[in-house]
Amino acid sequence: MIRKRIVIVNKLGMHARPATLVVKTATKYRSEFTILKDDMEINGKSIMGVMTLAAEFGSELELVADGVDEEYLIKEMEELFASKFGEE
Amino acid sequence: MKKISVKEFFQTKKIDFSLSLITRPTTLDKDITSEYLNRPGLAFSGFFERFSYQRIQVLGETEITYLQSLKDEELYNIIKEVFVYDIPCLIITKGLSIPSQMEFLANEMNIAILSSRISTDKLYQQLRKYLSDYFAPSKTIHGTLVDVYGVGILLTGKSGIGKSECALDLVERGQRLVTDDAVKITVIDEMLMGTSTNDYGHFMEVRGVGLIDAAKMFGIQAVRRNKRMDVQIELMPWKDNMDYERLGLSDNFAEILGVRIPIIYLPVSPGKNVSVIIEVVALNYILKRYGYDAAYEYTQKLQEDLKKKSSVKNSEHAK
Repeated sequence: MIRKRIVIVNKLGMHARPATLVVKTATKYRSEFTILKDDMEINGKSIMGVMTLAAEFGSELELVADGVDEEYLIKEMEELFASKFGEE
Repeated sequence: MKKISVKEFFQTKKIDFSLSLITRPTTLDKDITSEYLNRPGLAFSGFFERFSYQRIQVLGETEITYLQSLKDEELYNIIKEVFVYDIPCLIITKGLSIPSQMEFLANEMNIAILSSRISTDKLYQQLRKYLSDYFAPSKTIHGTLVDVYGVGILLTGKSGIGKSECALDLVERGQRLVTDDAVKITVIDEMLMGTSTNDYGHFMEVRGVGLIDAAKMFGIQAVRRNKRMDVQIELMPWKDNMDYERLGLSDNFAEILGVRIPIIYLPVSPGKNVSVIIEVVALNYILKRYGYDAAYEYTQKLQEDLKKKSSVKNSEHAK
């Protein structure tokens, strides 16, 4: 199991489009993927779950991957968040 | 290109358009190739530029009165000039009687003259409707058409994926079957109309059982003859890596005979209740038509929430 802390760096926060990207990326892998924010813990492969976080600009998330390809999943997630989902 | 012979047109539509044949039966062997009609008034007055001779020529009171006002020789010459063109047929409205030279020349020059008892305006409308339906582009595709809460849903997908079973389930739930297995699609007023390829009734094949008659089995309320198609749903086997629609913010479209309708790719897996999902698709389509888009509403709310939260944060930093 890998845990990784991450900060939302795009101005608009995790709205519908980034949330879709996160879910689409996560479903490519076989590992379980969970996202934690404040007291929330959601399934990172569920679009409603990810949007429920309403993760705004500057907020902190904890990504948890568990499974055979967990390292690759986390690595791609880090890159995705760092790329600001292709936004500002 | 589609066509219909004047003979077939006359025989099948004799009663609908209350037609009778003035000329000899041998004049009926031409083909109608255009869905449009023409009023040949200008041609009869000697103006032949852009004369749409290949269309059915409709003569009403105006044309006939004009022709009757001509002197015999003038009349003979102008009719001859008009009949040189390869006209499929003439239709005289309101049962008006025509100059005898006209009948004579039509027989001589092999042009059919039909007489209708209907008034010019009415005939024009009915004839245009008939012809545009007849000449409408059409094709038959493999699929099942159901009416779900008034939304026409075309189910497609490979053989054995469960289209018929799905239709049966929908019928059980009170929806209506239009046709199973083969759908004849016609474009009418930029819309796709679907119906059965034959008029035997609402038979369908259920694998392992054989043929059943849906109308007899479930009652007349479970079937209908034709339906406008609003949405196509392509049933496909579930694949783990397939990119399925998650939010429904963007619509995919299928193009059939040049008309675009939304298409939904629906993964099917054992134990999944596809009928309920199809009903949901239909209801969501109705909501969208009434201006309510759930995906849009939700994401708008999320965006506002995110904006509010980050501005609160910024003002805290400012302190």
